Amino acid sequence: MTSSPALMIEARGVEKWYPNGFHALRGVDLYVHQGEVVVIMGPSGSGKSTFLRTFNALEDFQKGSIVVDGIEISDDLRRIDAIRREVGMVFQQFNLFPHLTVLDNLTLAPVKVRKRPKAEVERQALELLERVGIAEQAHKFPGQLSGGQQQRVAIARSLCMEPRIMLFDEPTSALDPEMVQEVLSVMQELARDGMTMVVVSHEVRFARKVASRVVLMADGEVVEEAPPQEFFTNPRHERSKQFLSQIS
Amino acid sequence: MASTAPLVVRANPLRRLQKELFGSRLDGLISIALLAALLAAGLGFFRWALFQAQWVVLSANSTLFAVGRYPVDQQWRLWLLTSLLALATGLSWGLLRAFPGSGAVQPLWPRNDRWAAAILAALALWRPMALQLTLAIQLRWWGIAALLLFARWASGRYGPAIPHACRRLIPLLWPLLYLVGMVLISGGLGLVQVPPSEWGGLLLTVLMATFAILLCFPLGVLLALGRRSELPLLRWGSVIYIEFIRGAPLITLLFLGQNILGFLLPGGLTPDRVWRAAWVLTFFAAAYVAEAVRSGLVAVPAGQLEAARSLGLPVPLALVHVVLPQALRVALPATVGQFISLLQDTTLLSLIGLLDLLGTARTVMANPMFLGKSAEVYLVLAILFWSCCAALGLGSRALETRLNPHSPSAPQA
Repeated sequence: MTSSPALMIEARGVEKWYPNGFHALRGVDLYVHQGEVVVIMGPSGSGKSTFLRTFNALEDFQKGSIVVDGIEISDDLRRIDAIRREVGMVFQQFNLFPHLTVLDNLTLAPVKVRKRPKAEVERQALELLERVGIAEQAHKFPGQLSGGQQQRVAIARSLCMEPRIMLFDEPTSALDPEMVQEVLSVMQELARDGMTMVVVSHEVRFARKVASRVVLMADGEVVEEAPPQEFFTNPRHERSKQFLSQIS
Repeated sequence: MASTAPLVVRANPLRRLQKELFGSRLDGLISIALLAALLAAGLGFFRWALFQAQWVVLSANSTLFAVGRYPVDQQWRLWLLTSLLALATGLSWGLLRAFPGSGAVQPLWPRNDRWAAAILAALALWRPMALQLTLAIQLRWWGIAALLLFARWASGRYGPAIPHACRRLIPLLWPLLYLVGMVLISGGLGLVQVPPSEWGGLLLTVLMATFAILLCFPLGVLLALGRRSELPLLRWGSVIYIEFIRGAPLITLLFLGQNILGFLLPGGLTPDRVWRAAWVLTFFAAAYVAEAVRSGLVAVPAGQLEAARSLGLPVPLALVHVVLPQALRVALPATVGQFISLLQDTTLLSLIGLLDLLGTARTVMANPMFLGKSAEVYLVLAILFWSCCAALGLGSRALETRLNPHSPSAPQA
């Protein structure tokens, strides 16, 4: 092996129990290199969202280790804040701040956390809104936008922090069907620009086109991990075949 | 045609009234009986108010009701403070109209404002005369009202010319004015000291209410956050405090404050009776405000804090910029409700011997000269309190529409 791209996420043997005793993650490993797009699939309750949320410490875990961009996740809040600055997250429910305009949604964190001058951040924010195709909505409030537009704002909001990794937690599941594509094409473009991405999603066409690898999770474990071509045409495991027959 | 019928009804309010009140024979009878009863009550009230009531009890004691036993030679300080307040009110009012917020378009003098200005002017003209004040004092009231309306006009007209940087400092006028007011009222900094025991009437009531309202709000927010904290000590401390305070009637706490603070603190350190009561009011109201704010915090989806945290905002920044603005907006009506009942709770101060509005009223009514004049006094007290509470309520509703990004006044499409 020659020198491979830097390791951005390194999760080893991650185990999580919920307070009610439910064993949500049962020793999961995942390695994501710079520029890779990893799509995590799996039936609901398989722990895929929980696993994704451990990468920026929105969920804690009891066993194993996770190193993100060279920083190991621990209880140290400052370390967690340092990771979160470098890791963008896009949620199923958008979670835009409804009391702020679209532009203020984008500029809040860079101005308050990175302490960058407001005028400069606003210029960058407008560029990003241009890139996701909604520059003309900059002064509206999130409640005045459609779901697809809101999700594109949410992506732009994360990008405004100039993250090195982007996490997507079912970004199109809450959207009306006709709006799914506009969000996916933004994500596709992001992947083409070389962003490291981990995406929890059931969008097969997106995974086929963009993913470097597809990971199938079930019952808190990784069942299969393979390049999309192989995964969708010739899945090795019985559980994968079953899952694919259900979603197609 | 069935579809035109409702239109006709809506177009003619008289016709609608007729239909609602005299729809059938029984309806007509009930309506006539009720209207007759209302008319009789109204006539009786006006006959009493105009011919029987002796308003001299109020005009003779107007100073007492306004400021209590505040020394006469120091009362210029209160006049100055009132003028400053009028100036600041007019200024803020005009600026609020000149900058309706969120880029909404609004006339400089909406109909409600013209009404408010007219009512203000009428009150300023009529009230000093009705109270048979001396001409000098009448003139002062007219001057103050004119000052308010002039500031309203001028700031509405010329407000946009003020540079942005200066305009942002204008809200600071109010806390500054509050501190100046405190000094003016109590003395110090070269002014003669007027001990709190000499404050009274409306002055004491308003002072107590504003002091408690201003301090209980931040305290309540902190308690609400504490109650939702993940740190057990903070959480249980807040829960115990809130539940203890909410479980005890205010009057017992007021008596407790008067007696216990004296034992707890070394002699010289115990604050004056008036301040002790003010702090008890504050701590009491804070527990209720905390519950109102907590209801607002519950209404903010968990995803908001997660989104803010995943952008790298530390918890305090996430609370200040993301969670609290949304939570406080939801909690605003309930919080103002608490402020209104706090204002009314100040009447309990009369039971621990302070001369607030009600306390003053009771001493006046105990005066043999004015025996049996309680109806007049209580009616005026009720109207005074109603005006203050209505003002709070109107202010809160205006704030709500101003803060709501989806209100019709916000820019659309």
